Amino acid sequence: MTSGANTLVLPIVLPLLGAFLLPLVARFGDGLARALGIVLVVVNIFLGWTLWSAVGTEAAVTALGGFEAPLGIVLYGDRLAALFVAVLAVGALIFWPRAEHGGVKAYTLTLLLVAGGSGLVLSGDLFNIFVFYEIVAVASYGLAASSGDKAGFGAALRYLVLGALGSSLVLIGIGLVYAAAGTLNLADIARLAPEKLSGTTGLAAFLLLVLGFGVKAELFPVNTWVPEVYAAAPMRVTAILAGVVSKLAMVVILRLLVLVFHDPAAISLLMAVAIVTIVAGEFAAYRASDLNRTFAYSSIAQLGLVALALTIPATAGILAAIAVALHHAVVKPAFFVIAAKWRGPLAGLAGGARVAPAAAGLFVLLALSIIGIPPLPGFWAKLVLLGGAFDAGGAYAFAAAVVLAATVVEAAYLFRVVARIWQPAAGAKPAHFAFSDLSPALLLGVILIVATLFVAPIGTALSGAAASAADAGSYVARVLPGRM
Amino acid sequence: MSPDALLVAEYLGRALYGGAILLIAIGIYAMVARYNLMRVLLGLALVESGVNLFLVAIGFRPEAAAPIIVGGVTDVPMVDPLPQALVLTAIVIGVGVLALAAALLIRVKETYGTLDTREVAKFLAAEPADAAPAAGTAVAGTPARETVNAGSAS
Amino acid sequence: MIGLLDTLLVLALLTTVGLYVFGANRFAGYIGMAAYAAMTVIVVLVGQTLSGGETAVPSAMAFTVLGYPMTWRIDGLGWFFALLTTGAGFFAAWYMSGEWNEAQPNKRIQHGTLALNVLAMLLLVSSGDFLSLFIGWEIVSWAAFAMMTQLGGPAATAALRYLLYALAGAMALFAGILIVRSATGSFAFEDFAAAVPNLPTATKWVLFVLFTAGFGVKMAIVPFHLWQAPAYSFTPGASSSFLNAVSARMGLFALTLVLIKLMGPALLAGMDIAYTWFDARSALLWLTAITMIVPTYIALMQTDARMLLAWHGIGQGGYMLLGILVGTPLGLAGGLLHTFNYATYQMALMLAVFAVVHRTKTADLDELGGLITRMPFTYITLLMGIIGLAGLPPMNGFVSKWMIYKSLLNTAQPLLLIAAFIGTLGTILSVYKLIHNIFLGQLRLEHREVKEAPLSMLLPMLTLAGIGFVTGWMPGLALSMVDIAQSALGIGLQPHHLGGVDLPNGSLNMLWVVGVLIAAIGVGALIFYFLGNRRWEVSQYDNYAGGHFLSADVRYHFSHEFYPGLARVIGPWYRGWVVKMERGLQTLVAVLGDLSGGVFRFAHTPFYLLVAVSLGLLWVGLFGKI
Repeated sequence: MTSGANTLVLPIVLPLLGAFLLPLVARFGDGLARALGIVLVVVNIFLGWTLWSAVGTEAAVTALGGFEAPLGIVLYGDRLAALFVAVLAVGALIFWPRAEHGGVKAYTLTLLLVAGGSGLVLSGDLFNIFVFYEIVAVASYGLAASSGDKAGFGAALRYLVLGALGSSLVLIGIGLVYAAAGTLNLADIARLAPEKLSGTTGLAAFLLLVLGFGVKAELFPVNTWVPEVYAAAPMRVTAILAGVVSKLAMVVILRLLVLVFHDPAAISLLMAVAIVTIVAGEFAAYRASDLNRTFAYSSIAQLGLVALALTIPATAGILAAIAVALHHAVVKPAFFVIAAKWRGPLAGLAGGARVAPAAAGLFVLLALSIIGIPPLPGFWAKLVLLGGAFDAGGAYAFAAAVVLAATVVEAAYLFRVVARIWQPAAGAKPAHFAFSDLSPALLLGVILIVATLFVAPIGTALSGAAASAADAGSYVARVLPGRM
Repeated sequence: MSPDALLVAEYLGRALYGGAILLIAIGIYAMVARYNLMRVLLGLALVESGVNLFLVAIGFRPEAAAPIIVGGVTDVPMVDPLPQALVLTAIVIGVGVLALAAALLIRVKETYGTLDTREVAKFLAAEPADAAPAAGTAVAGTPARETVNAGSAS
Repeated sequence: MIGLLDTLLVLALLTTVGLYVFGANRFAGYIGMAAYAAMTVIVVLVGQTLSGGETAVPSAMAFTVLGYPMTWRIDGLGWFFALLTTGAGFFAAWYMSGEWNEAQPNKRIQHGTLALNVLAMLLLVSSGDFLSLFIGWEIVSWAAFAMMTQLGGPAATAALRYLLYALAGAMALFAGILIVRSATGSFAFEDFAAAVPNLPTATKWVLFVLFTAGFGVKMAIVPFHLWQAPAYSFTPGASSSFLNAVSARMGLFALTLVLIKLMGPALLAGMDIAYTWFDARSALLWLTAITMIVPTYIALMQTDARMLLAWHGIGQGGYMLLGILVGTPLGLAGGLLHTFNYATYQMALMLAVFAVVHRTKTADLDELGGLITRMPFTYITLLMGIIGLAGLPPMNGFVSKWMIYKSLLNTAQPLLLIAAFIGTLGTILSVYKLIHNIFLGQLRLEHREVKEAPLSMLLPMLTLAGIGFVTGWMPGLALSMVDIAQSALGIGLQPHHLGGVDLPNGSLNMLWVVGVLIAAIGVGALIFYFLGNRRWEVSQYDNYAGGHFLSADVRYHFSHEFYPGLARVIGPWYRGWVVKMERGLQTLVAVLGDLSGGVFRFAHTPFYLLVAVSLGLLWVGLFGKI
């Protein structure tokens, strides 16, 4: 147990504890519960930050209960994990529910989401990953149904069915890994993988794990819940699910790729899935009928980009994945904030720029960034991604060409909306935004602009995080000292 | 353990895998071929049981005893306890998820008046801005088609 | 250390911010004039530094992101285009300074986007490596979009179409610069120029196609030409003139930079296409020949004056690229000179047409006519402009076209010369239609009270026409600017003097040509006015035909379907496969979109999971063995 141990345990334990305490606290007033929840989330941001500054290139490792790896349960915190603990908490803070959004139930579920998500990125063994994945899943099913409107229940139930089936796949995959390697500790599996998991069993396990985690990570073809849920769930939930939770599943896939599955067949499998995801997402968005679905499909395509980035060898791929994921985590929630007010068919958006100039301007900024127009952060993310792809050559160059073509489609559907917004209103005018409606999106827009100005230091920091996340040898050495 | 008993145990171990696969197959069949959400949930329960059985089967050794230390004797071969621990957790999680699903199922039935997943899907694909249809009536999704104006060469 | 280039860029940035803030002010046009004049002065100072032997003027601005350095510096080539940009900005601001300004509902957007475009173009032409080139390219594209889309309606539709073309081009370019980086290890121009002869042929071809397509979209090279004319035409007057004069030339700048300066015409000529007589350079030359001809004849069919001129702009771009791709000092000088000349007369023409639109509220060639008496100075501008556009003496368009023709002759490419002549024939026919339908013939009743354009709009028009005449009379003035651009390309300079160029097989001295022309006109005038002046002036409405007096409400101005015979001949070729290809692409995207969307609307979602797992396991079983 090192001094860094608390920063690994607390981001999971505190929100989990808080989630179960909140219903009790709420008896003394809803405001108190809300305040406690916010405090816990802020503490998580702080813990993420502390972990980030503490770990540097050497990751922090904690064996819970004093049982050392590979027998005990291990938490592994590197900068990648710290980053996503903090991003998840920031997302939860920005989109923290209010009393009218379900009150203490929503607070509890959100805290549960934060606890499970933090656990997901910090866990050092497969079975804990499964457990935390399920916590995240249950919390998100509950949140998805919490809109109280009619579409919510159906979407949530269909989401649940798919998600539970996906979890079963994950469980089978874990079982296969265990059957082959005889351990569930990621570092131990990493050590044994070249010997035990390089065959058909390993590949089958990878397939099942990718499809299982792919439900949350919005990978084709197990992402059919996405448009339904994002159109029906409350905006705050959609923003967190699309912005952050989907990336957490990607982090798990990243760990699996770095540590366990180096098989070229596995890589090409993921690449094929990623390409189909990108194409299906962007093209479906082109024909989407309203903003919410447009952004849902666009979110699918962006997650496809992350998956594609993960297949690119070495640090470049992981850096690209982190960059695309982070950029999307900033942009897409802001988009959903705008879509929450501008519901209904796209044709009804005419005149939006006159009614809500700030929202319209923000929309253009976000659209430019997600398309990847320099000097906005989205451009640099795409530059790293495509640069890595062209460096790798071969099938990656083909994938890059697909991404470039999909970008044009992306611009087509986003700027079709922009053109619509700037047209004079025909019939009913689009909704007006109160400042409090738009403020989360404005905050994210400011973050985007600040990130544009500080893109060089951010790039350096992320490169460091990517380099340490890509270092499988150091992972094994940290978790299993003396076993290399 | 007698060789016959060992053989029986070994076949039992293989049968466990077969049973697991059979359970999963039945469950998936129910989920894919049936449109009633209740049956889909029952299928899900079967799949989860099958998966749990599969995990237990992984840890099974024909010659081994249950992984309980009796009287300080530790050198008897035991079956792998870890999958059993996993299955315990998975069962708990599965129960939770199914309970949540059942709760949602009731709300779905109340809201839409049907459990047919096709009807629910039609409702979900409909325009959110359209006047919410009365319970039970489905609205076919006909999104407004539009393309970028082609213009012309002239 | 703040150098000249930094001062220029900072000034452009301040102008953009300032004009966006104060653009609604009635003095915004004057502020713009002052700012662009100051920028032009700085550019001239940069030119003096460059002609003093410096190869480039660097900027202090430099960034390194993710290990990629970005630098900005301006060399002779960039300088030439920077001068065109600030000059065009100056005349556009001048045009917008008086009455025009007061008539516009969105002057702030007009002033702001103009300044933004100038800034973006200056950034682009001063880029020092492929990454900054790409960034500049994107900013230029989006700035132009902001300018085009401002009026909404058909303008927004055309702008969106432009945007998709531009973005597709930019993506080709993105791929290109990343392949360059993969192949050479850096984004630096120098590394690419050094490495490109040793690259594999396939890589060279990929880069050639990607760069040509990427930059060619901006140039509107056929088959990427459909967007340009509508996008330029529906933009407000001064902005449209600016776009027409210089915006598409950014593509020319970048093509010249990459194809001529970095790759070199000799390298392109060495890239043979198997089983044909073509190589990369000649294939592109023929593409430019098509670009000269097809859009010109499309222009002939237009009934909107703005569209007619904008379609010509595409064809004229073909001449410039043709000259530049010829690759000899004479051809390069011709192509670059044509860029300058085109900017002067096209801007004068567009401004004149928009002056007519400003007064009559229509640009429809079927609804104008006889305005020569109402707007004589606008007529003179337009007349001088079309002489330049048609490439006839004494205007400057003649000189540059002569040089391009001569370079084709000297490199023994008579077929391309014929193609260029065919293009010029179409130009002459259509500019006659332009001037006839607007200014000659019957004055419409509703235009009887039309006034001449205000001085604030006339002066920039006439000045531009005057520049066109002076540089036609003394092309040496413009050729010395072309020298600076050409010195950056490393192919050698074309010797010239004030009146033109001296070549062993036939020289051109415009001092003589113009002198003879003026003398001949003088002789004609002498005969006409002094040896029996039989003319007398009648009212424009005092007409008769077939013995009948024609009252003013009888329409006898022949303007509709101006060249019916020609239209019958070229009609089947017109609106051909390119439009169909564009529509087909849209349909394809829509169908793919519906397919993808249909997948997500499917009722029974676990089915996909089952299918994916089954297929995946099958694949694992079949191919998973290592």
